[in-house]
Amino acid sequence: MYYVADVKESDCAKYNCKQCVLFCPEPNTLMYHDSKHVAWVNYSRCKGCAICVYVCSDLLKRNCIEMVMVTTGD
Amino acid sequence: MGLEYVRISPGFEKYMPKDYVDLVQYGQFGKEIDVQQLGQFKELVEEHPMCAGCFMAYFVRVFYASLPKPEDTIVIGTAGCARLALSQAAVPFIYGNYGDTNAVASGLKRALSIRFPDKEKDVVVIAGDGGLIDIGFGMTMHSWFRREKFTTIMVDNEVYGNTGGQESGMSPRGVQLKMAPKGKQFDKINAVELAKVAGCVYVAKLAPTNPKRIAKTVRRAILAARHFGPTFIHAYTSCNIEYSIPTEKVLEDARKREKQDFGFYEWMTDEVKEFFEELERKPEEVKA
Repeated sequence: MYYVADVKESDCAKYNCKQCVLFCPEPNTLMYHDSKHVAWVNYSRCKGCAICVYVCSDLLKRNCIEMVMVTTGD
Repeated sequence: MGLEYVRISPGFEKYMPKDYVDLVQYGQFGKEIDVQQLGQFKELVEEHPMCAGCFMAYFVRVFYASLPKPEDTIVIGTAGCARLALSQAAVPFIYGNYGDTNAVASGLKRALSIRFPDKEKDVVVIAGDGGLIDIGFGMTMHSWFRREKFTTIMVDNEVYGNTGGQESGMSPRGVQLKMAPKGKQFDKINAVELAKVAGCVYVAKLAPTNPKRIAKTVRRAILAARHFGPTFIHAYTSCNIEYSIPTEKVLEDARKREKQDFGFYEWMTDEVKEFFEELERKPEEVKA
Protein backbone atom coordinates (compact mmCIF):
# COMPACT_ATOMS: atom_id res chain seq x y z
CA MET A 1 0.00 0.00 0.00
CA TYR A 2 1.29 3.40 -0.95
CA TYR A 3 -0.03 6.84 -0.15
CA VAL A 4 0.11 8.90 -3.34
CA ALA A 5 -1.33 12.04 -4.85
CA ASP A 6 -4.09 11.70 -7.41
CA VAL A 7 -5.25 14.47 -9.76
CA LYS A 8 -8.98 14.80 -10.45
CA GLU A 9 -8.64 15.24 -14.18
CA SER A 10 -12.01 16.81 -14.94
CA ASP A 11 -11.57 19.44 -12.21
CA CYS A 12 -7.95 20.15 -13.10
CA ALA A 13 -8.73 20.64 -16.80
CA LYS A 14 -10.86 23.70 -15.95
CA TYR A 15 -7.79 25.67 -14.95
CA ASN A 16 -4.79 26.25 -17.13
CA CYS A 17 -2.43 26.27 -14.17
CA LYS A 18 0.53 24.07 -13.29
CA GLN A 19 1.50 25.42 -9.90
CA CYS A 20 1.49 21.97 -8.26
CA VAL A 21 3.99 20.72 -10.86
CA LEU A 22 6.30 23.64 -10.10
CA PHE A 23 6.33 22.87 -6.36
CA CYS A 24 6.73 19.07 -6.34
CA PRO A 25 10.08 18.14 -4.76
CA GLU A 26 10.38 14.92 -6.76
CA PRO A 27 11.72 15.03 -10.32
CA ASN A 28 9.65 13.53 -13.18
CA THR A 29 6.80 12.69 -10.80
CA LEU A 30 4.02 15.25 -11.03
CA MET A 31 3.92 15.89 -14.77
CA TYR A 32 1.90 18.18 -17.01
CA HIS A 33 0.05 16.94 -20.08
CA ASP A 34 0.67 19.41 -22.91
CA SER A 35 -2.50 18.86 -24.96
CA LYS A 36 -5.02 17.94 -22.21
CA HIS A 37 -3.74 20.77 -19.96
CA VAL A 38 -3.93 18.64 -16.83
CA ALA A 39 -1.39 17.52 -14.27
CA TRP A 40 -0.86 13.78 -13.83
CA VAL A 41 1.02 11.71 -11.27
CA ASN A 42 3.57 8.99 -11.88
CA TYR A 43 2.36 6.83 -8.96
CA SER A 44 5.48 4.67 -8.71
CA ARG A 45 7.60 7.76 -8.02
CA CYS A 46 5.29 9.71 -5.70
CA LYS A 47 6.44 9.75 -2.07
CA GLY A 48 3.15 11.11 -0.74
CA CYS A 49 4.33 14.37 0.82
CA ALA A 50 1.11 16.24 -0.16
CA ILE A 51 2.83 19.55 -0.94
CA CYS A 52 0.80 19.56 -4.19
CA VAL A 53 -2.41 19.26 -2.13
CA TYR A 54 -1.32 22.28 -0.06
CA VAL A 55 -0.64 24.28 -3.24
CA CYS A 56 -3.90 23.27 -4.95
CA SER A 57 -6.28 23.33 -1.98
CA ASP A 58 -4.84 25.77 0.56
CA LEU A 59 -3.13 28.33 -1.66
CA LEU A 60 -5.26 28.26 -4.81
CA LYS A 61 -8.56 26.89 -3.33
CA ARG A 62 -9.09 24.66 -6.36
CA ASN A 63 -9.21 21.24 -4.64
CA CYS A 64 -8.16 19.21 -7.68
CA ILE A 65 -5.67 16.87 -5.95
CA GLU A 66 -6.40 14.32 -3.25
CA MET A 67 -4.26 11.72 -1.49
CA VAL A 68 -5.24 8.10 -2.15
CA MET A 69 -4.02 4.65 -1.16
CA VAL A 70 -2.86 2.42 -3.99
CA THR A 71 -1.59 -1.15 -3.88
CA THR A 72 1.50 -2.32 -5.73
CA GLY A 73 0.82 -2.81 -9.39
CA ASP A 74 -1.88 -0.13 -9.65
CA MET B 1 31.63 17.20 -20.98
CA GLY B 2 30.06 18.77 -24.03
CA LEU B 3 27.15 17.69 -26.19
CA GLU B 4 29.13 15.08 -28.13
CA TYR B 5 29.55 13.07 -24.93
CA VAL B 6 25.83 13.13 -24.19
CA ARG B 7 24.49 11.93 -27.56
CA ILE B 8 24.02 8.22 -28.21
CA SER B 9 26.11 6.73 -31.03
CA PRO B 10 23.89 5.81 -34.02
CA GLY B 11 22.58 2.24 -33.79
CA PHE B 12 22.92 2.03 -30.02
CA GLU B 13 19.59 3.66 -29.11
CA LYS B 14 17.79 0.35 -28.53
CA TYR B 15 20.48 -0.89 -26.14
CA MET B 16 20.49 2.19 -23.92
CA PRO B 17 18.27 2.43 -20.80
CA LYS B 18 14.89 4.04 -21.48
CA ASP B 19 15.58 6.86 -19.04
CA TYR B 20 18.79 7.80 -20.86
CA VAL B 21 17.13 7.78 -24.30
CA ASP B 22 14.34 9.99 -22.90
CA LEU B 23 16.93 12.31 -21.41
CA VAL B 24 18.68 12.83 -24.75
CA GLN B 25 15.42 13.18 -26.73
CA TYR B 26 13.25 15.15 -24.31
CA GLY B 27 15.83 16.46 -21.87
CA GLN B 28 17.60 19.77 -21.34
CA PHE B 29 20.81 19.07 -23.23
CA GLY B 30 21.50 21.67 -25.89
CA LYS B 31 18.16 23.45 -25.39
CA GLU B 32 17.10 26.67 -23.72
CA ILE B 33 14.68 25.46 -21.05
CA ASP B 34 12.61 27.78 -18.94
CA VAL B 35 11.92 26.64 -15.39
CA GLN B 36 8.18 27.19 -15.99
CA GLN B 37 8.33 24.19 -18.35
CA LEU B 38 9.01 21.81 -15.44
CA GLY B 39 6.89 18.69 -15.79
CA GLN B 40 6.93 18.92 -19.58
CA PHE B 41 10.47 17.66 -20.24
CA LYS B 42 12.69 14.89 -18.91
CA GLU B 43 14.58 16.32 -15.96
CA LEU B 44 18.28 15.84 -15.40
CA VAL B 45 17.85 14.58 -11.86
CA GLU B 46 16.40 11.11 -11.38
CA GLU B 47 14.68 9.31 -8.53
CA HIS B 48 16.66 9.84 -5.33
CA PRO B 49 16.51 8.60 -1.74
CA MET B 50 15.79 11.96 -0.06
CA CYS B 51 12.90 12.14 2.41
CA ALA B 52 9.32 12.76 1.29
CA GLY B 53 8.55 16.46 1.12
CA CYS B 54 12.19 17.54 1.50
CA PHE B 55 12.59 21.10 0.31
CA MET B 56 16.29 20.58 -0.25
CA ALA B 57 15.30 17.99 -2.86
CA TYR B 58 12.97 20.62 -4.34
CA PHE B 59 15.76 23.18 -4.49
CA VAL B 60 18.05 20.64 -6.17
CA ARG B 61 15.31 19.87 -8.71
CA VAL B 62 14.84 23.54 -9.62
CA PHE B 63 18.61 24.08 -9.60
CA TYR B 64 19.12 21.40 -12.26
CA ALA B 65 16.26 22.79 -14.35
CA SER B 66 17.87 26.23 -14.34
CA LEU B 67 21.43 25.33 -15.34
CA PRO B 68 22.40 27.48 -18.34
CA LYS B 69 24.57 24.74 -19.90
CA PRO B 70 24.11 21.36 -18.18
CA GLU B 71 26.40 19.57 -20.63
CA ASP B 72 29.30 21.84 -19.66
CA THR B 73 28.74 21.86 -15.90
CA ILE B 74 30.37 19.92 -13.08
CA VAL B 75 28.68 19.79 -9.69
CA ILE B 76 30.65 19.26 -6.50
CA GLY B 77 29.05 18.16 -3.28
CA THR B 78 30.05 16.67 0.01
CA ALA B 79 28.66 14.66 2.90
CA GLY B 80 25.20 15.90 3.78
CA CYS B 81 21.68 15.45 2.48
CA ALA B 82 22.02 17.28 -0.85
CA ARG B 83 24.52 14.82 -2.26
CA LEU B 84 21.85 12.09 -2.24
CA ALA B 85 20.00 13.87 -5.05
CA LEU B 86 23.00 15.57 -6.67
CA SER B 87 24.63 12.22 -7.37
CA GLN B 88 21.50 10.95 -9.17
CA ALA B 89 21.62 13.54 -11.95
CA ALA B 90 22.94 13.38 -15.50
CA VAL B 91 25.57 16.01 -14.72
CA PRO B 92 29.09 15.00 -13.65
CA PHE B 93 29.26 14.99 -9.86
CA ILE B 94 32.35 14.98 -7.67
CA TYR B 95 32.12 13.99 -4.03
CA GLY B 96 34.59 16.10 -2.08
CA ASN B 97 35.74 15.10 1.38
CA TYR B 98 33.79 16.82 4.13
CA GLY B 99 34.84 20.44 4.11
CA ASP B 100 37.10 20.56 1.09
CA THR B 101 34.52 21.12 -1.66
CA ASN B 102 35.71 24.63 -2.45
CA ALA B 103 39.36 23.55 -2.57
CA VAL B 104 38.46 20.75 -5.02
CA ALA B 105 36.39 23.20 -7.06
CA SER B 106 39.28 25.70 -7.21
CA GLY B 107 41.64 23.11 -8.68
CA LEU B 108 38.99 21.77 -11.03
CA LYS B 109 38.05 25.20 -12.38
CA ARG B 110 41.70 26.08 -12.99
CA ALA B 111 42.35 22.73 -14.71
CA LEU B 112 39.26 23.15 -16.92
CA SER B 113 40.34 26.64 -17.99
CA ILE B 114 43.74 25.26 -19.03
CA ARG B 115 42.32 22.18 -20.78
CA PHE B 116 39.45 24.02 -22.53
CA PRO B 117 40.68 27.61 -22.91
CA ASP B 118 38.12 28.42 -25.64
CA LYS B 119 35.06 26.90 -23.91
CA GLU B 120 32.98 27.95 -20.94
CA LYS B 121 32.87 25.26 -18.27
CA ASP B 122 30.86 25.91 -15.14
CA VAL B 123 31.76 24.54 -11.73
CA VAL B 124 29.10 24.65 -9.02
CA VAL B 125 29.52 23.64 -5.39
CA ILE B 126 26.33 22.65 -3.57
CA ALA B 127 26.84 21.73 0.06
CA GLY B 128 25.04 22.17 3.31
CA ASP B 129 25.60 24.55 6.18
CA GLY B 130 27.93 22.03 7.84
CA GLY B 131 30.03 21.45 4.72
CA LEU B 132 30.50 25.11 3.88
CA ILE B 133 30.25 27.27 6.98
CA ASP B 134 31.13 24.90 9.86
CA ILE B 135 33.61 22.23 8.85
CA GLY B 136 34.56 23.63 5.45
CA PHE B 137 34.72 27.24 6.66
CA GLY B 138 38.46 27.73 6.03
CA MET B 139 38.44 26.35 2.51
CA THR B 140 35.23 28.17 1.59
CA MET B 141 36.61 31.51 2.78
CA HIS B 142 39.99 31.02 1.12
CA SER B 143 38.45 30.12 -2.22
CA TRP B 144 36.61 33.46 -2.01
CA PHE B 145 39.76 35.35 -0.91
CA ARG B 146 41.56 33.90 -3.95
CA ARG B 147 38.66 35.00 -6.18
CA GLU B 148 38.18 31.60 -7.75
CA LYS B 149 35.64 31.75 -10.55
CA PHE B 150 32.95 29.29 -9.50
CA THR B 151 29.56 29.29 -7.80
CA THR B 152 29.00 28.21 -4.21
CA ILE B 153 25.45 27.35 -3.17
CA MET B 154 24.67 26.70 0.46
CA VAL B 155 21.53 24.64 1.03
CA ASP B 156 20.93 25.62 4.62
CA ASN B 157 18.76 23.21 6.62
CA GLU B 158 19.99 24.67 9.93
CA VAL B 159 20.93 21.28 11.40
CA TYR B 160 23.11 18.20 10.85
CA GLY B 161 20.21 16.18 9.47
CA ASN B 162 22.14 13.01 8.54
CA THR B 163 23.68 12.33 11.93
CA GLY B 164 20.75 12.78 14.27
CA GLY B 165 20.18 16.50 14.69
CA GLN B 166 23.25 18.27 16.09
CA GLU B 167 23.19 22.07 16.04
CA SER B 168 25.19 23.79 13.33
CA GLY B 169 26.57 27.29 13.11
CA MET B 170 23.56 28.16 10.98
CA SER B 171 20.89 26.98 13.46
CA PRO B 172 18.91 29.94 14.80
CA ARG B 173 19.55 31.06 18.39
CA GLY B 174 17.54 29.22 21.02
CA VAL B 175 16.40 26.34 18.83
CA GLN B 176 16.15 22.99 20.58
CA LEU B 177 17.29 19.96 18.62
CA LYS B 178 17.58 16.26 19.39
CA MET B 179 21.33 16.52 20.03
CA ALA B 180 21.21 20.08 21.37
CA PRO B 181 18.72 19.76 24.24
CA LYS B 182 19.73 23.00 26.00
CA GLY B 183 18.91 25.06 22.94
CA LYS B 184 21.45 26.84 20.81
CA GLN B 185 23.33 29.52 22.74
CA PHE B 186 24.70 31.57 19.83
CA ASP B 187 23.32 33.49 16.88
CA LYS B 188 23.00 32.21 13.35
CA ILE B 189 26.10 33.03 11.32
CA ASN B 190 25.54 35.78 8.77
CA ALA B 191 26.92 33.94 5.77
CA VAL B 192 25.77 36.51 3.23
CA GLU B 193 27.75 39.36 4.81
CA LEU B 194 30.79 37.08 5.18
CA ALA B 195 30.63 36.31 1.46
CA LYS B 196 30.44 40.00 0.59
CA VAL B 197 33.44 40.85 2.76
CA ALA B 198 35.43 37.86 1.48
CA GLY B 199 35.21 39.05 -2.12
CA CYS B 200 32.20 37.40 -3.76
CA VAL B 201 30.95 39.42 -6.74
CA TYR B 202 27.37 38.16 -6.56
CA VAL B 203 25.59 37.21 -3.35
CA ALA B 204 21.96 36.15 -2.92
CA LYS B 205 19.78 34.82 -0.15
CA LEU B 206 16.41 33.19 -0.76
CA ALA B 207 13.76 30.81 0.45
CA PRO B 208 12.52 28.44 -2.27
CA THR B 209 8.99 29.78 -2.62
CA ASN B 210 9.21 30.99 -6.21
CA PRO B 211 10.77 28.67 -8.84
CA LYS B 212 11.19 31.46 -11.36
CA ARG B 213 13.21 33.52 -8.89
CA ILE B 214 15.37 30.54 -7.91
CA ALA B 215 16.12 29.90 -11.58
CA LYS B 216 16.99 33.54 -12.23
CA THR B 217 19.27 33.68 -9.20
CA VAL B 218 21.06 30.42 -10.07
CA ARG B 219 21.59 31.52 -13.68
CA ARG B 220 22.90 34.90 -12.60
CA ALA B 221 25.26 33.33 -10.07
CA ILE B 222 26.66 30.93 -12.68
CA LEU B 223 27.03 33.57 -15.41
CA ALA B 224 28.70 36.03 -13.01
CA ALA B 225 31.10 33.30 -11.88
CA ARG B 226 32.09 32.61 -15.50
CA HIS B 227 33.36 36.12 -16.06
CA PHE B 228 34.05 37.89 -12.77
CA GLY B 229 34.74 35.86 -9.67
CA PRO B 230 33.24 33.84 -6.84
CA THR B 231 29.47 33.92 -6.35
CA PHE B 232 27.39 32.70 -3.44
CA ILE B 233 23.75 31.74 -2.90
CA HIS B 234 22.34 31.09 0.55
CA ALA B 235 19.13 29.07 0.23
CA TYR B 236 16.82 28.09 3.06
CA THR B 237 15.92 24.43 2.61
CA SER B 238 14.14 23.27 5.75
CA CYS B 239 14.71 19.86 7.32
CA ASN B 240 11.18 18.58 7.88
CA ILE B 241 12.45 15.60 9.89
CA GLU B 242 14.67 17.35 12.47
CA TYR B 243 12.44 20.40 12.74
CA SER B 244 9.28 18.23 12.84
CA ILE B 245 7.46 20.02 10.03
CA PRO B 246 4.58 17.92 8.60
CA THR B 247 5.40 17.31 4.91
CA GLU B 248 2.33 19.15 3.62
CA LYS B 249 3.34 22.24 5.65
CA VAL B 250 6.86 22.48 4.23
CA LEU B 251 5.99 25.15 1.68
CA GLU B 252 3.97 27.04 4.30
CA ASP B 253 7.03 27.01 6.57
CA ALA B 254 9.24 28.31 3.75
CA ARG B 255 6.76 31.13 3.11
CA LYS B 256 6.71 31.97 6.82
CA ARG B 257 10.50 32.05 7.06
CA GLU B 258 10.66 34.16 3.92
CA LYS B 259 8.61 36.82 5.73
CA GLN B 260 10.74 36.55 8.89
CA ASP B 261 14.44 36.31 8.07
CA PHE B 262 14.84 34.78 4.61
CA GLY B 263 13.43 37.54 2.46
CA PHE B 264 14.91 37.65 -1.02
CA TYR B 265 18.18 39.55 -0.99
CA GLU B 266 20.52 40.08 -3.91
CA TRP B 267 23.76 42.01 -4.01
CA MET B 268 26.33 42.36 -6.78
CA THR B 269 29.29 44.53 -7.66
CA ASP B 270 28.84 47.39 -10.09
CA GLU B 271 30.59 45.63 -12.96
CA VAL B 272 28.36 42.56 -12.54
CA LYS B 273 25.29 44.80 -12.46
CA GLU B 274 26.43 46.44 -15.70
CA PHE B 275 27.00 43.00 -17.24
CA PHE B 276 23.49 41.81 -16.41
CA GLU B 277 21.91 45.05 -17.57
CA GLU B 278 23.66 44.56 -20.89
CA LEU B 279 22.78 40.84 -21.07
CA GLU B 280 19.13 41.21 -20.14
CA ARG B 281 18.57 44.24 -22.38
CA LYS B 282 19.77 42.53 -25.55
CA PRO B 283 16.63 40.62 -26.66
CA GLU B 284 14.53 43.81 -26.56
CA GLU B 285 17.03 45.68 -28.69
CA VAL B 286 17.07 42.89 -31.25
CA LYS B 287 13.25 43.06 -31.51
CA ALA B 288 13.30 46.83 -31.96
